[in-house]
Amino acid sequence: MTRGLSRGSVVATFVRSFLIQGSWNYRTMIGTGFGWAMVPGLRRIFRDRPEAFREALVRHTEHFNAHPYLSSVALGATLRLEADGADPETVHRFKTAVRGPLGGLGDSLVWATFLPAVSMAALAVYWLGLPGPAAAVFFLVLYNIGHVGLRAWGFRAGLETGREVGGRLAAAHLVHWTRRLRKSSVVVLGGVMGVLLGGEGGLGDAGLGWVALAAAGFVLGLFVGHHVWRPAAVAVVSVIAVLATWGVIR
Amino acid sequence: MSLLALATLGGAIGLDATSVGQFMVSRPLVVGVIVGWAVGQPALGAAVGAILEIYLLVSFPTGGSRFPEGATATVVAVGSCAGLDGPGTLAMAVAVGLVWGQLGGWSITWLRRANTRLTADWGGDAPRPARLARIHLTAVGLDFLRGVAVTGVGLLVCGGLVRAVATSWPLDTGHTFGLLLVGATVSLGILLHDFGGFRQHRLRLVLGLALGLLGARFL
Repeated sequence: MTRGLSRGSVVATFVRSFLIQGSWNYRTMIGTGFGWAMVPGLRRIFRDRPEAFREALVRHTEHFNAHPYLSSVALGATLRLEADGADPETVHRFKTAVRGPLGGLGDSLVWATFLPAVSMAALAVYWLGLPGPAAAVFFLVLYNIGHVGLRAWGFRAGLETGREVGGRLAAAHLVHWTRRLRKSSVVVLGGVMGVLLGGEGGLGDAGLGWVALAAAGFVLGLFVGHHVWRPAAVAVVSVIAVLATWGVIR
Repeated sequence: MSLLALATLGGAIGLDATSVGQFMVSRPLVVGVIVGWAVGQPALGAAVGAILEIYLLVSFPTGGSRFPEGATATVVAVGSCAGLDGPGTLAMAVAVGLVWGQLGGWSITWLRRANTRLTADWGGDAPRPARLARIHLTAVGLDFLRGVAVTGVGLLVCGGLVRAVATSWPLDTGHTFGLLLVGATVSLGILLHDFGGFRQHRLRLVLGLALGLLGARFL
C-alpha cells in the first residue's frame, strides 16, 4: 500500500470514481466529482493537518476533464502525488498535462471503438436469434469486463507510478490496441449488415427497394459522417408521421 | 406497470448514462429488454431497443457534447406500447424514441447549466467535505429527477398518441422493418466513416458481410 494511504481509503476513492461525472457542469466539468472522489484519500493523507486538507480539497475541485473511465488514472496518480508530499504546483501541472490525453484516448478507445464494437456484436447475436435478454446480458458482461477492467487497471497504474504514469500508459500501447480493435470492429459491422440483410424478416425479405434505400443510407453516412445523422433521423420520423396520419384519415 | 413506476425506472436507468457508473445499462438494447419485460412485451421491447441501438451506435456520452439520450427515450418508446402489438406499434415506438432522445439531450444541457449554478457558489473558497458531498449528490439527485420528469412526460404525451395511430398503420411488417432499417443503416455508414472509411477497410467489411450472410443463412 502507498505510504500514507490505507486500503480502505484507496478502495473508497476507487468506488467514488464511478460517480465522478455526477455533478458534470460547464465550470469545473468533472472537477467537482474529482474532488469528491479524492476526499477519502486526502482525509487519510492529511489526517493531522486540517488546513492542508482543505487546501488540497480546493486544488482538486478546480476545473478538470478527462474520459470518465480513464480519469481513474489521474485519480490514482494524483492520490500518489499527494501521499508522497508533492508540492501543489507539481500536482496542478500534472493534472493539467494529463487531462487532454486521457480525454482524447478514452473517447477514441471507449466511446468511438469499444462501445460500438460490443454493441454491434450483441446486435448481431440478437438478429441471429439469441433472445433479447440473453443478448443484453451478453452485451453487459462483455462491455463491463472491459470497462471495469480499464478503470481498475488505470487506477492501479496511477497509484503505483504517480507522475510517471505516462510511461505505464505508453507501455500498454492503448493507441495500438484501439487501432486493432477498430479493424476487428469493421468485421463485426459487416457482420451486422449481413445479418440484417439475410436474416429472417430482415431487409432481404422487405424487398429490393428497401435494400437499395438502405444501401443509399449507408453510403450517405459513410461519406457525410455525423452531420447526416440528425437529418436522417428527422426524415425517418417524418415519413412515419406522414404514414401514421394517412393511416388514420384514409 | 404504472406510469409512476416506469418514470422512476427511467430516472434510475438514466443515471447510468453519465452520472453513475456508466455500466451501459442505459443503452437502448438493454433498456428495451428491461422495459419490455416490465410492461409484458418482452419481444417488442427487445426489437425496439435493438433498432434504437443501431440508430444510437454513433451517439456517445462525450464530455460537453449534446447527444440524444437513449435511456429515457427507450423507456418512453417501449412503455408507450404497453398492450399493443403489430408493425404500427414498432414504427411509432422507434419514432417516439428518436424524438424523445432529442428532448432528453436538451434536458441534459439544462441539467449541466443547473449544476454549474450549484457548484459556482464556493468560488475559490475551500469547500467542506460534507458540503462538497451534498452538492455532488444533489446533482446526482437532480439527474434522477430529470430522468423521471422526461420519462413521465414522454409516457403521458406519447402513450395516447401511439395508441391512437398504431392500429391504423398502413404498412405490413416487412415494409415497416425496411423503413426503420433504412435510417439505421445511416448510422452504420457513419460508424465505418469513423473507423477510417471504406477504402481502408473494404476487405474486412466484405469478410464481415459474408460471415453475417452465412450466419443468417445457417444459424
